[in-house]
Amino acid sequence: MSVFLLDSLVVFLFIEFVILLLNSINQVIVLKILKYWDFNASNTFQYSLEKKNYLVNTIITFTIGVKIILFIFFVKSLDDLVPLVPGAMCATGVIGANEYGNILLLFKIFILFLLGVWMIINRLDLKSKELKFLKKKYYLFTIVFIMICIEFILELAYFINIPLTVPVFCCSVVFVVENLPFDLTTLDIVYIFYFIFVSILASNYYKKISISFILNILFLFVSYYSVTYFFGTYVYEEPNHKCPFCFLQADYYYVGYLIWSTLFVGIFFGISPYIVYSIVEIKNKKLLQYNSIILTVFTVICSSYVLFYYIKNGVFL
Amino acid sequence: MSKITINNLYKIYNEGKESEFQALRGIDLSIKDGEIVVIKGVSGSGKSTLLSLIAAFSKPSSGKILIDGENISKLPDIFASKFRNEKIGFIFQSFNLIDGLSVKDNVLSPMVLTSLGQDTINKRLKIALNLANIEHKENQNIADLSGGEKQRCAIARALVNNPSIILADEPTANLDKENSLKFLEILKKFKELKKIVIVATHDTIFDELPFVDKYVDMSDGKFV
Repeated sequence: MSVFLLDSLVVFLFIEFVILLLNSINQVIVLKILKYWDFNASNTFQYSLEKKNYLVNTIITFTIGVKIILFIFFVKSLDDLVPLVPGAMCATGVIGANEYGNILLLFKIFILFLLGVWMIINRLDLKSKELKFLKKKYYLFTIVFIMICIEFILELAYFINIPLTVPVFCCSVVFVVENLPFDLTTLDIVYIFYFIFVSILASNYYKKISISFILNILFLFVSYYSVTYFFGTYVYEEPNHKCPFCFLQADYYYVGYLIWSTLFVGIFFGISPYIVYSIVEIKNKKLLQYNSIILTVFTVICSSYVLFYYIKNGVFL
Repeated sequence: MSKITINNLYKIYNEGKESEFQALRGIDLSIKDGEIVVIKGVSGSGKSTLLSLIAAFSKPSSGKILIDGENISKLPDIFASKFRNEKIGFIFQSFNLIDGLSVKDNVLSPMVLTSLGQDTINKRLKIALNLANIEHKENQNIADLSGGEKQRCAIARALVNNPSIILADEPTANLDKENSLKFLEILKKFKELKKIVIVATHDTIFDELPFVDKYVDMSDGKFV
């Protein structure tokens, strides 16, 4: 039996292929623009490049929209594969079924981050009369395009190599307490989580984009461990159930989608001002406000599970 | 210094295809502040294409259009829209008014995107309606107007943002003689207001008018 018998996977890969094809055509135009662009020229070729520039922007914006939807679809597909993969109880088992799964997931998140940065630079570019960030944004897109190509190869390698006869490890095995970094305890991680969160709010208040950039990267990793090893247990209401994927299921009202999306979107707004500044030297401080608001929502959601559990039961897990 | 300078302007439709058509072939033109220019020519000679390029509705295939020293053909879409909103008043052959709205609402439509105060808006509305001689129909629905009145409403709309350049594409094509003569009266008022007016027409009523500064004949995408 092949995983390709799942309709959702065939549709997923087909859309990914169409997006890849579309962006391959795009990339040819991008290379032409990078090579021949001369904004001061008023000849036929330059005008045609300017028209194509709008076309390329539209295709990339479309790609970003589709990629966001496809990412959610990808995570959902992992859950759909659970009944087919022996030993898997949730997406943890499916994603770890071979060596390509986790790297593919990281690739997807990284591509979305880069596309988000591209979108910010594109907005700044369109706001300048001379389209002065045009080359920079297309160099960035070229990197993204290479990553999209690798991502597609990884997707094929991952889905083809999911074992359907060999049992895989699932969350009860993969996420044991000993997996925490630097010999930290769960409580240490939670203290660090709240400390960094407050530090992010403070650095955003004082509009320190470089400090916020570092704190947000730290917060991303600390949040991953905090959610998996601490807050998650309150979602499941089981002290030994530690998993970053199980709460994506219907049993937990899909709250995992809300938790992870607020974390990733919030972090994006926290790190992008510094990245954008390093590329185009413009400080977009408004994004830090979004960072504070969304990470507050994330922290409140996580904390509320602990609080409600305590109110209901009078004890912590 | 000229307000509008056009250099070696070409516009080719369907370039590289079998149906390729050269609408403009190497147009050169310069217009000073307050000048009225009439571009004459038969249908298909390229007059409307030239006006749409000056209004930055579309981009040329090659060449430059400098307005106040800025090449408006190079403007990104968002800036082209801003330029059009601030500097250009366009009078269309078929008026392009919004049926179902009143004269007042049609005239005010270009001001939707401005951040002017209500007093300034009302003042500008009054001036535009007065110049176009349509103030008595302010609250009337467009559907209830005659052809001449629709034309005057379109003129008021073109004037409401106080543009320095007014482009009129076959402004009398849908009017009878009496209303066409009224349009010439309004054209005289534009001259007094020192606005640049470019009229594209094949109507002989525009021949030998004393207040017109420049006549240009167009044929096959070129000035002759």
